[in-house]
Amino acid sequence: MTNDITENLPDEVIEKPFLIRVILALSTLAGWCSASMILIAVFITCQMIFVRSVFNQSTIWQTETVIYLVIAATLIGLPFVQKVRGHVNVDLIPLLLPMRVRYFLAIFTLLISALIVAVMFWYGLEYWHIALKKNWVSDTVMEVPLWIPYSALPIGFGLFFLQLMADFFSLILKIESPFGLGDK
Amino acid sequence: MDPLTLGALVGISTILVLFSGVSVGIGLLIVSAIFLMIFDGFGSLELMPELLFGKLDSFALLSIPMFIIMGASISSTKAGADLYEALERWLTRVPGGLVISNLGACAMFAAMSGSSPATCAAIGKMGIPEMLKRGYPPTIATGSIAAGGTLGILIPPSITMIVYGIATETSIGRLFLAGVMPGLLLVSLFMAWSIYATWKSGARKDLQQRVYSWKEKFEILPRVIPFLVIIAGVLYSMYGGIATPSETAAVGAMLCLVISIIVYKLLNPKDLWAILRDSTKESVMILFIIAAAGVFSYMLSSLFITQSIAEWISNLDINRWVLMGLINVFLLVAGFFLPPVAVILMVAPILLPVIVTAGFDPIWFAVILTINMEIGLISPPVGLNLYVINGIAPDIPLKTILIGSLPFVACMVIAIILISLFPGIATWLPEVLMGKAI
Repeated sequence: MTNDITENLPDEVIEKPFLIRVILALSTLAGWCSASMILIAVFITCQMIFVRSVFNQSTIWQTETVIYLVIAATLIGLPFVQKVRGHVNVDLIPLLLPMRVRYFLAIFTLLISALIVAVMFWYGLEYWHIALKKNWVSDTVMEVPLWIPYSALPIGFGLFFLQLMADFFSLILKIESPFGLGDK
Repeated sequence: MDPLTLGALVGISTILVLFSGVSVGIGLLIVSAIFLMIFDGFGSLELMPELLFGKLDSFALLSIPMFIIMGASISSTKAGADLYEALERWLTRVPGGLVISNLGACAMFAAMSGSSPATCAAIGKMGIPEMLKRGYPPTIATGSIAAGGTLGILIPPSITMIVYGIATETSIGRLFLAGVMPGLLLVSLFMAWSIYATWKSGARKDLQQRVYSWKEKFEILPRVIPFLVIIAGVLYSMYGGIATPSETAAVGAMLCLVISIIVYKLLNPKDLWAILRDSTKESVMILFIIAAAGVFSYMLSSLFITQSIAEWISNLDINRWVLMGLINVFLLVAGFFLPPVAVILMVAPILLPVIVTAGFDPIWFAVILTINMEIGLISPPVGLNLYVINGIAPDIPLKTILIGSLPFVACMVIAIILISLFPGIATWLPEVLMGKAI
């Protein structure tokens, strides 16, 4: 179901335009950030268990921080996972279709995906802006200003949109094959 | 519009959107957005990011990336090979010893990795060439590993069980325990079939057995100790009252990373990045589907679809076992096309009230559902494990792997029947160790 991008490149490798390369680099950077956040979440959780069980200390900040880290890792990791074709899909119908129809179906799915991601970006930005303007804080002891965790929504979906656009133009420019399926 | 007709419309639209090749998470958002916009107005779209964020705002979800890191770090070491070799040396005299070692190694590896493809790949890389070399028929060599790999989603820690626990608000600790006995039952059925098939194929007399000295048998044991430490550490912290499943998962992830670095000398930053990259890719994919499914189930609920379908099924007035049979067929078909996580997230909110009203235990149902999803992993057209095996053993045609897997599908169906007849197989262990569910 998932396809490794490196296995499915067309035989004739066309050099990617500068803008696409920039977007790909941004997605890779987002992947690094996401992976680091998950790793930090591991360390913080282990630290939490240690101080709680060994020193019998209360753990005020750890749980909330870890939750926000995982949310941010998920949203900011979206463009990276798109780049490496990690978002699982049902490719049964595309596989059965002739190449030309498959090509148009790939264009359609990329555009409709970009549209819904743009909607999520727009309303995510609005949600973040309200949290900032109204100075919303979490209802915990830490009272975290919520615009900080909410910023992952516009950042993640914004970068995800760019990556989908990069995939769209890569398809149009015949740099990538539809659904990354090659000539299967 | 009548909520039931609306429900049918949502169902058809979801199938159409998902089969177009769009990714599952995005597909769920698209369907949710369309129906919310049409029936609740354009303004309801602005709720979507809030709902998505809200679904992710849970400490329980932490266990998913943590258990994935655990599996990815173990898979990237020689751990699978060591485990395989140790079991092979000790079980060499058992009839069909090699295939038994492989299935045992699959079960043990599943207990550490929680992932089916990872289990398949780790044990299959060593196991399949060795079995072929020693004269086992290719159907048994590949089918046993494909089936053994599916244990990854049943034997704890299981990502599928975590997702079910989150979707239905069921105790993850109980779900993990519920998977143990059915997991052992499946391994036993797989082993029984493998021995019988090897014997029946006539290959038994030609099998080459290597005899190991006691020195060789004991020599390998220290290499298996890290596994036992991980399993013991995870079980102790989860059931010893030290930590929640999420916290346990973090401890497991840390232990596995440390063991990978210290014991297996995984010191190259590139290798460590590969572990993190693979874990991030899989975690983000699953967490995004969970978040999108949160928006999807909000849409179903706000349009009264969930409630209406549950009520409709409850009023059908059919025997509860017929109902369970129909649910199983539905899950089986869904599992042929969709990944387990997506199936659970989409159907659990609708099915759970029906299951509970019909008098079934939700913990027991989690096991039945998971075995159904396991069947999907070794059945076409998706059958992820078949492709993993095909990648490891490219010389064996996919058709042979598929034929080899079919008897194991039958074993899984037998397991479902046995667990339905004797629900205690799933519910006994959680009840003994954690008391009756309230």
